[in-house]
Amino acid sequence: MKKRALLIGSFNKARSLASSLIKKGYHVTAINSNYQDCLALAEIDSLTVINGDGTKPFILDEANAQNADIAIALSQRDDNNLVICELCKKKFNVKKTVAIVNDPKKTEFFHKMGIDSVVCSTSAITGIIEQQAFMDEIAITIPIGEGHISIAEVPITQTSPAVGKKLWEVNLPKEVIVGCILRHEHNMIPRGDTRILAGDMLVLISSDKQETVAIKELTGR
Amino acid sequence: MELFKSHKNSDYTIIIGCGRLGTGLADSLSDSGGNVMVIDNDKDAFRKMSSSYGGLTLIGDATDIDILKEAQIENANAVVCVTNNDNTNIMVAQIAKELFKVKHVISRLYDPERECLYREFDIATICPAVLSANEISKLLGNAKKEDEVE
Repeated sequence: MKKRALLIGSFNKARSLASSLIKKGYHVTAINSNYQDCLALAEIDSLTVINGDGTKPFILDEANAQNADIAIALSQRDDNNLVICELCKKKFNVKKTVAIVNDPKKTEFFHKMGIDSVVCSTSAITGIIEQQAFMDEIAITIPIGEGHISIAEVPITQTSPAVGKKLWEVNLPKEVIVGCILRHEHNMIPRGDTRILAGDMLVLISSDKQETVAIKELTGR
Repeated sequence: MELFKSHKNSDYTIIIGCGRLGTGLADSLSDSGGNVMVIDNDKDAFRKMSSSYGGLTLIGDATDIDILKEAQIENANAVVCVTNNDNTNIMVAQIAKELFKVKHVISRLYDPERECLYREFDIATICPAVLSANEISKLLGNAKKEDEVE
């Protein structure tokens, strides 16, 4: 049986998420309170669209929330998203609820209220901006575990202070390990006595924002 | 504000939302000698308050945890959520109860269908629609009795 996803609020986020979930084989229903937005959403093939306020139980009922496997609250307001997820959980017994939260200080509160997955749009975006603007040395960082852990790809150049050193000679913070070295086409899992060479791509796994310190130690920036 | 720090659990009430209900409640609580704080995000909302109001006011978004801390919510023994938005009331009431362990939390709820969200928390709800319906049917009942007597 097809998994059912329910998207509540937001036009742009709902549209792109709906298309992607439909491609992955989900049966998707979108709830939006703006009639014009609903018309535009309805152009997506096989998307069910409900026009109404998703914080109202009868609208959720109309959208068959009780049959949804996952409910995702995307609206602009934190209080609406909280109410949507709580209604889905308590009144409609939806297995998994996801909420976007704008205020990073409320992430923990949302978890405490029983919402399964809380995505803080503000910290995600500021994180990306910081990364783009201030850390040119990193090719990619991927935050995981609520953003407490991050995986970063760090390119080593001729001028990096770590060039020619063995791994144990580099003064890395305790919370950081070099999980993998990509050297030409080989991938290797390094040991303490592995020497870092120019052109290496190091894959760092770090916790609690220690990656900046580690990157400075490795690349000098 | 320093006054409240010394004696926790003293009579300190925070009212969220300075509409007709919030204003009326704040005025009467302050008249009867209670410590009252009213929070609203619109500074013009406070113009409705009576000139004799002796309590505190704070402009800000009460769903912001920092604003609640500024209002010294940890010293409050009662929080009353009476904004005109059900969802805001729900969120502030749950923050007050779950994060700050406020003893008495009372919340206004326009849509009775959302009451299930308050059930497992120890939060009292006032639902104007239900109260009015009860009152009206009582009046109707009285009217019928009068008709019968006649």
